[in-house]
Amino acid sequence: MKEIDKLPVRNRKGREFIEKVGSGGLALTSIIGLVFLLILVYQIAKPTIIDGEEGEIVAATEFLPISDYILKWDNPSVDEDGNLISEPIIIQLAWDDENGSHEHEIEITVIPQRNVKENIQLNENGVDTNEVTVGKKTKFFIYSTLSTPVSVHQISGPTPAANETGYPQVNTFVIQSDVSTVFSNGISIEESMAIISWCLLMVMILVYIFPNEKIIQPIASISKNHQIIRWISLVPFLFFILYEITVIRFFIVLNCFIGLRMLANLSEGIFRLSNQMKPLNDRILLKHSIVNRDGLMLWAKLFFLVSTFFIPLNVHIPFLTERYQDIFQPYSSGIRSAFYGTFWVMGIAMVMAIPVSIGAAIYLEEYAKPTRLTKLIQALITNLAGVPSIVFGLFGLAIFVREGGFGLGFGPSIFAAGLTMGVMAMPIIVLAAQEALRSVPRSIRESAYGIGCTRWQVTKDHVLPSAMPGMMTGTILAMSRIVGEAAPLLVVGAFGAVLFDPEPFAALTDGNINFTVIPIQIYAWTAEPGHEWHAMAAAASIALIAVMISMNSIAIILREYYRRRLNS
Amino acid sequence: MVPKIQFEDKAHIFLFLSGLSVIFITIGIIETLLGESVEFFQEVAASRGWFDFDIEFKGLMSQYGMASGVFLLCYASMILVRKNPNLRTKIPQTMVLLPPKAVFALYLVAFILFIYFDNILLGISMFCLIFTWKFIADVSFDDDFVQQKFGLQKTLFALGIASFSLAITTNYSGALGEFFFQSQWTPTGSCPDRRSLCENMSFGINSLLFTTIQVAFGALLIAVPIGVGCAIFLSEYAQPRLVAVVKPTLEILAGIPSVVYGFFAFIYIGPIVVEFGEYAFTQGWIDEPPNILNPINGAIVVGIMILPLIASMSEDALRAVPNELREGSLALGATKIETTVFVMIQAALSGIIASIILALSRAVGETMAVTLAVGTVAVFTTNMFLPAQTMTAYIAQKVSGDLSYGDIGYLTIFAVGLYLFFITLSLNLLGNKILTNFREEY
Repeated sequence: MKEIDKLPVRNRKGREFIEKVGSGGLALTSIIGLVFLLILVYQIAKPTIIDGEEGEIVAATEFLPISDYILKWDNPSVDEDGNLISEPIIIQLAWDDENGSHEHEIEITVIPQRNVKENIQLNENGVDTNEVTVGKKTKFFIYSTLSTPVSVHQISGPTPAANETGYPQVNTFVIQSDVSTVFSNGISIEESMAIISWCLLMVMILVYIFPNEKIIQPIASISKNHQIIRWISLVPFLFFILYEITVIRFFIVLNCFIGLRMLANLSEGIFRLSNQMKPLNDRILLKHSIVNRDGLMLWAKLFFLVSTFFIPLNVHIPFLTERYQDIFQPYSSGIRSAFYGTFWVMGIAMVMAIPVSIGAAIYLEEYAKPTRLTKLIQALITNLAGVPSIVFGLFGLAIFVREGGFGLGFGPSIFAAGLTMGVMAMPIIVLAAQEALRSVPRSIRESAYGIGCTRWQVTKDHVLPSAMPGMMTGTILAMSRIVGEAAPLLVVGAFGAVLFDPEPFAALTDGNINFTVIPIQIYAWTAEPGHEWHAMAAAASIALIAVMISMNSIAIILREYYRRRLNS
Repeated sequence: MVPKIQFEDKAHIFLFLSGLSVIFITIGIIETLLGESVEFFQEVAASRGWFDFDIEFKGLMSQYGMASGVFLLCYASMILVRKNPNLRTKIPQTMVLLPPKAVFALYLVAFILFIYFDNILLGISMFCLIFTWKFIADVSFDDDFVQQKFGLQKTLFALGIASFSLAITTNYSGALGEFFFQSQWTPTGSCPDRRSLCENMSFGINSLLFTTIQVAFGALLIAVPIGVGCAIFLSEYAQPRLVAVVKPTLEILAGIPSVVYGFFAFIYIGPIVVEFGEYAFTQGWIDEPPNILNPINGAIVVGIMILPLIASMSEDALRAVPNELREGSLALGATKIETTVFVMIQAALSGIIASIILALSRAVGETMAVTLAVGTVAVFTTNMFLPAQTMTAYIAQKVSGDLSYGDIGYLTIFAVGLYLFFITLSLNLLGNKILTNFREEY
């Protein structure tokens, strides 16, 4: 014990100096952390701008790997000022088959009218025409029925974002996107339906937010038939059965469904109000009379926002959804197969991991007595969450990929990769779900038990709804961690260059099992020598980070929505 | 009316089965890793025997001998001080009484030596020397202290015996000796048939382990000061509005995929490190010109990766300290920085240490960034400007080539994976134990 009289007398200035230095130093450390992030973002964004001196592309080439594959030739036929380029585009199609090697040149003339197109047919005899006339900003297709790959090489004419000599335009972004309206290729039934569905959704959202009496009057006149509207809202799903699903059709159907559902719920509310002889000009009463208003608004806003990129605007990013990886031409590469591969791996991982891990979390929190087995499971989950991802990859390699021994023999396929990723996500989701269940107040359970609910009823009807936001947030965050993981998939056997759309269940149906995902694509491109490939790796990194940030923001939106609903 | 209770009776069985699947997964991981590793060791043992060494007492003059000397000296002095109460009074106090700052500086020196020494045990022995010195100093003041720290004594004895036996034995061979004690990693030797085992191959994991330790501890050197400082700043000093900006930024930093960090290290950090390395080379501090792929590069990028983990976990620990402690300290007249250093950090120490250990485990298991940043040459060298290879990077490199099931290259990745699994598992167990057992209850 020190005696107080013997303590050194501190200088006031010295104390203040130390105080300032200490707090300043601490502030500095946290600024350094932020500076790291800024440098990181800048260094990733920098290579995606084409550097004039080093970057170089020649005419864009594409590779037709399999027969009846549609090559979408995405060539701008106008220069920077919007003037039409008069120089004809000449492309050369070459392939080898049993009759020898073929080589055909096709001259493409661009005319000012829109929506004029001639498609090219390829077969054993050669090309059906040597001259094609297309309208400006119009797509035409080369249909190949050959069994051998066809290489496409552009001999003259402009290349995407390049000047006449073939060099890329300096200071342009490597990911090209083309924003147009849905009507740029002419009006057909699909485009008009798209616009109608989008407008319906927008009107319904506005009506829900500002329920004006004048607008509601016509709805009130049909409010007796709200049950019929509810049935009509299912009609758009016939589209899915009758036609092939594309992105636009998907959004048409879901926008129509949500919009009509909103209309039905609104008219039902009006019907109920008018039955009770209540006035329609009371906004709060009207808002409360609509069944599931918050949920419908959440989905409507979400779909309205996302479909804006496809329906009125038609944002078109060939890098993401059209171009495959090109082995020779960096700037004409894309991540289409990796994008779909990521999508499928995620989907299988989710389907596998979510039910099991949420079940485990419910068991551990609600049912389990603190036995030795329960404690063991709990300890294993906590420690599994910290096991390096590559060890999970080894597990997947031995169990799912390999045949013989303990292996199930799925091969290096998407199915095996999805299962591996699901196993990896499980402990993370279990821990998040447990945390969410633990945060549900004890009083909710006890009051439910008090009125005679069984344990399963308490869990299903009282605990799970309250714990839902935490569970969903944890699940989405786990999934956004899975999206960025490359190491387990490297072990499972993701392939570097995949020039076709991956088939998710190829392991079970004897298809082509090769696949790739975006992180593996980034890894492969980073390992390539050359500035251009690094630019593509940076572009793919930006795409990946965008996917992750959007997933995280969905998690945050859902969390806020549920939290608001619980508090109200 | 029959009540619907059939599912309710069975619900817990289904839920229990899903809980049980975790056990199956863990057993599956351990069992696959163990199965393939045992096959690996059996194959190596079939050609070289299980374990073999020669005894040579000349080895006492080596670094291991020095380490064992230090360990046993520490052990003996501890025993002496503990058993002889009279001796304690005779210790001249000026000799043992070091100011705390000097002790801290010595710890720092020992830590740096630990990273840069070839010999891990010698590095640990330096730590133990300071520990023992402090122990003797404490003991000479406080008699009650003698009863504590019995674990250290046992550890010292075990380490002393271990390094002694390492010192007098040479030429380890056989499957186990080669894997755990040798440091030449050439799993694809120049053999007539490169798929099968031959004499030119060598499986000494220490070169991989050494680079892994270099990268992981180098990352801690970067991440711990910045991360803990950031956490203290956020929980003690920053305005709530600033916290609302910085916290999500750190979360984004934590969410960025490791392969993107690898890309960042490859194109940006590597060239910067090479510039420093070239300066060091012209000054004659290192004997070979630097390469763009090197462990320093990896250490920096992994440090940036684990920074948000340390920051957010340490901040949680600091926020969990009740406000009464802070207010009590301030009421006694301590300044804010004194309160932070002497009260808050002490109270949250278990949480901070646990965050550091869990971050270390993350750094050891990190794959893609390290593969892209450190390189693919398995060498045992202290020159951190030359390309090397970590354990995870070896697995990643091996699987991206052609891999045929059952050959020796395929089996090595499971042996390396098992070793990695046990290192990270024990680190996680330690971290979680500290987090739960040593938490101060208020």
